Amino acid sequence: MMLKINNLKKIYPNGHQALDNINIEVQKGEFLVIIGLSGSGKSTLLKCINKLHPITKGQVVFNGQEISSLKGEEMRNAQSKMGMIFQHFNLIDRKSALTNVLTGALHKTSIIKSVFELFSAEQKEKAFEMLDIVGLKEKAFERVDNLSGGQKQRVAIARALMQSPSLLLADEPVASLDPATSHSVMDYLKKVNEELGVTIICNLHFLSLVREYAGRVIALKDGQLIFEGKPEQIDEDWFRKIYGEKAKEVFIK
Amino acid sequence: MKENGKRLKHFLFDVLLWTYAVTSLYKIIYQNYILQVRYLEYHSQEFIFCLIAGAILSFLFSLIPQFSIFQGFSHKTNTPYLKRPYFILFLFILIITFINGIHFSQFSLREFFSESGMDGAKRIFWSLLHPNFDILGESLKAAVETVFMAFMATALAIPFSFILSFFAAKNLTRSSLFFKIIYTSARFVLNGTRSIEPLVWAIIFSVWVGIGPFAGMLALCLHSVASLSKLYSEQIENINEGPLDAIRSTGAHPVQVIWFGVVPQIILPFLSFTIYRWDINVRMATVIGLVGGGGIGTMLMQYQGTARWNEVGLLIIIIALIVWAMDTMSSKIREKIK
Repeated sequence: MMLKINNLKKIYPNGHQALDNINIEVQKGEFLVIIGLSGSGKSTLLKCINKLHPITKGQVVFNGQEISSLKGEEMRNAQSKMGMIFQHFNLIDRKSALTNVLTGALHKTSIIKSVFELFSAEQKEKAFEMLDIVGLKEKAFERVDNLSGGQKQRVAIARALMQSPSLLLADEPVASLDPATSHSVMDYLKKVNEELGVTIICNLHFLSLVREYAGRVIALKDGQLIFEGKPEQIDEDWFRKIYGEKAKEVFIK
Repeated sequence: MKENGKRLKHFLFDVLLWTYAVTSLYKIIYQNYILQVRYLEYHSQEFIFCLIAGAILSFLFSLIPQFSIFQGFSHKTNTPYLKRPYFILFLFILIITFINGIHFSQFSLREFFSESGMDGAKRIFWSLLHPNFDILGESLKAAVETVFMAFMATALAIPFSFILSFFAAKNLTRSSLFFKIIYTSARFVLNGTRSIEPLVWAIIFSVWVGIGPFAGMLALCLHSVASLSKLYSEQIENINEGPLDAIRSTGAHPVQVIWFGVVPQIILPFLSFTIYRWDINVRMATVIGLVGGGGIGTMLMQYQGTARWNEVGLLIIIIALIVWAMDTMSSKIREKIK
């Protein structure tokens, strides 16, 4: 078992209850997709898993270790084993693709060395390898603000892979990309999942992408888990339950 | 209850306005302009008398609807301002205020156009146009002193402001109570320091370390730290927090999160602010020289004190040139690094 979430509850400081009583188990090597409307708690769930947000109640057990109560160095240790990519890529615009990938190794680099960007030769070599995996080796010294959206997301994937993660969290990785680029980014995630054996938890909007890439799907609505199963099981009825009565499916090809 | 409180507030405000009107009418218009009293004296009994008069007046006016000034302004109707009854009262008070202004600033067209005064002005402008170049070397040395004084003040302010600005940025200090306290106290100290003019700091430091460039530099430096920290921290508050999340999610140490998530986003605006600050400091260094901060300002003060207007003319030309050069340079550089 890679990840086990027990009775997770998250209430924001403003009183908004984002998640309630969530129980999820994730096996090693899975490609789990989370669907749901905007505001249903998908992003919050991912950020609670890697402790970007503190959780209000419940447990997150990652690789057999209860991590929700960890603090300081122990927390950062756990975080370093989970990669994360974001809808808006969240790269450092003014730096090269290579430097951005190297930030994935910050946990293993001392503060002094990292301030002067003194990464070791092995780390640099590994960063090149990761860029190669996402097909961007020749862009290594390009500033990332000169790259296209799809390329930026691939750099972000390489940054996450630099952590040698056992789990990759993807928060709507294709929501700000065009359809063709979306497929390319999803294909890279699939490759990471199948070839490197990295477990993936991914938030998605489009059901067509879900059917193509997901091994298993869970659906959230108003902070509650309302569906869990195979992508094929999401029929018309379930679709309406998840997205509301008036929703219509949009296909992305 | 709330309605009553509001009415009381309006009434008190009107009392204040009427007291002001009565005091000005009595002291400035009656005693000063009509009786032409030479030395106006201000007694506290007079003020109490005016206060009572003001209270009575505002009470009388509040009996007539729509004649309370404060209530009138907070009341929302579609009637044009000029047609509202209380507006006449407001205009009346505005006119009184102008008369007060003329009295207190000793505004006088007679002085401005007087024969002897015009002669003096002509003499000064004439000698300003004929600067004395004999003191060129000495004044250039003072000018260099001023520029470097400003440079040192800016340079020394950078590390302090850089570090302080992170503690004075709201988005980086909301994680714990400890940081919130640091944030509040940092803001408090910075605002306090900034609200005291560098001129005043220069006076303090010239007593402390003696008259000269060092006192001026310390004054400028202190003020620069306060204003740069404010500008820097506002820049930090405006950053995109996405990269911070991303770096944090890799398990990086908080220092690394700031170094990779915040610093690359703020470094250019910081540079731009700093250059602009140096520009401001050069101008201020001149003014600070007037109170003993050294450099070309001190020299200017010495020559104008002895009415040597030809020398003053040369100094003014040099100051104008420096300010122009700094201004052009700093705006060019800031444009380049945008």
